[in-house]
Amino acid sequence: MAKRPRKKTEEKVVEANLLPVMNIMFLLIPALLMAMEFASMAAINVSPPKFSSAPSEPTEEKKEQEKPLDLKVFIMDDGYRVEASGQQEGADAGKSADSSKPTIGLAKSGAPDTDYERYDYAALEAKAKEYKALFPNDTTVKISAESNVPMQVVIWTMDAVAGTECKIGKFMKGTEELPDNCYFWQPIIEGGAG
Amino acid sequence: MTPEQHALHEAAMKAFLDKKKYKAAVRRQKDDEEANLGMTSLMDIVSILVIYLLKSYASDPVVINPTAGQKIPFSAADASIQDGMPVFVTVRGITFQDQKVVTMTSEGEVDPSMVQNHLIGPLFDAFSEEADKAKQMAENRGIEWEGRLILVGDQSLKFSTLIDVLFTAGRAEFKEYTFCVIRKG
Repeated sequence: MAKRPRKKTEEKVVEANLLPVMNIMFLLIPALLMAMEFASMAAINVSPPKFSSAPSEPTEEKKEQEKPLDLKVFIMDDGYRVEASGQQEGADAGKSADSSKPTIGLAKSGAPDTDYERYDYAALEAKAKEYKALFPNDTTVKISAESNVPMQVVIWTMDAVAGTECKIGKFMKGTEELPDNCYFWQPIIEGGAG
Repeated sequence: MTPEQHALHEAAMKAFLDKKKYKAAVRRQKDDEEANLGMTSLMDIVSILVIYLLKSYASDPVVINPTAGQKIPFSAADASIQDGMPVFVTVRGITFQDQKVVTMTSEGEVDPSMVQNHLIGPLFDAFSEEADKAKQMAENRGIEWEGRLILVGDQSLKFSTLIDVLFTAGRAEFKEYTFCVIRKG
């Protein structure tokens, strides 16, 4: 029996109409471009400014408790003045305000005010590390500055006392514990001191 | 040319012209072919672009668009920005809720006539108005108002101005403050 010749069937390729999809896509692109962030933003949570006034008398209960570190960093034109437990670092014991000289001098003395790297952030970080070893449970630091100190210097000072390697993003979300390389990461801004 | 030759030539010419006419007629009868544009590769590129943009959009709940000429400070901090009201403080002015509330002096400070004991008058009014609205909205939704202010500052912003803004926010019942910074590296 002779074989019947196979019919040649041409399958038509059906192409999807992509034009409506493309229209939506091209509308989405500018909308998303408008909303996108070009630089990665982060946040530093600070406590409200406290204005220097007469300190409140400590109650008997407070006196009995362990004396806190009460770390204070004052940013001056010529460096940092660091105070702990009411006494300036390196000053004579018992004197609360020993001198107006900085505890940590400038890294680049003579540099203009616009040079934000003129402060010795590394020395401040080392000092913070020393204090953290003595007071491991303390996390707060009071930061104050002279009126003309730029914000970038204040931010880098906060970074230095918190530890430049300190990453608290995951800790803040509650997914991880606080890393060991975080020193004083809760800054309190104080005004009116200078 | 002899008359026979002439007749042959005429006939050949006629045949040639008839053939040409026929070809033209056939060409006219043919359907116009549609030109197809290759969309697949374009779709690939656009899809990848949209996914990338969607991913970068979804990473932060608050989108900060700095004002013109503003240089946001850099920091090693990595905590993400939580929801709050942003205030843009530059050496040119203070912008809150898309409105320039305060114009700075040439020294990049708030006009002393606007400040009374660290309180910046026009800014306090703007803060209070928005805080009242936000409180009302939170009350209607049955949640507690967090009162978070996101301060988007400038690298060269003076500490005294920073303090004045924070003090004013505190008086307008904002309870939490966040400095917006650009992540280093």
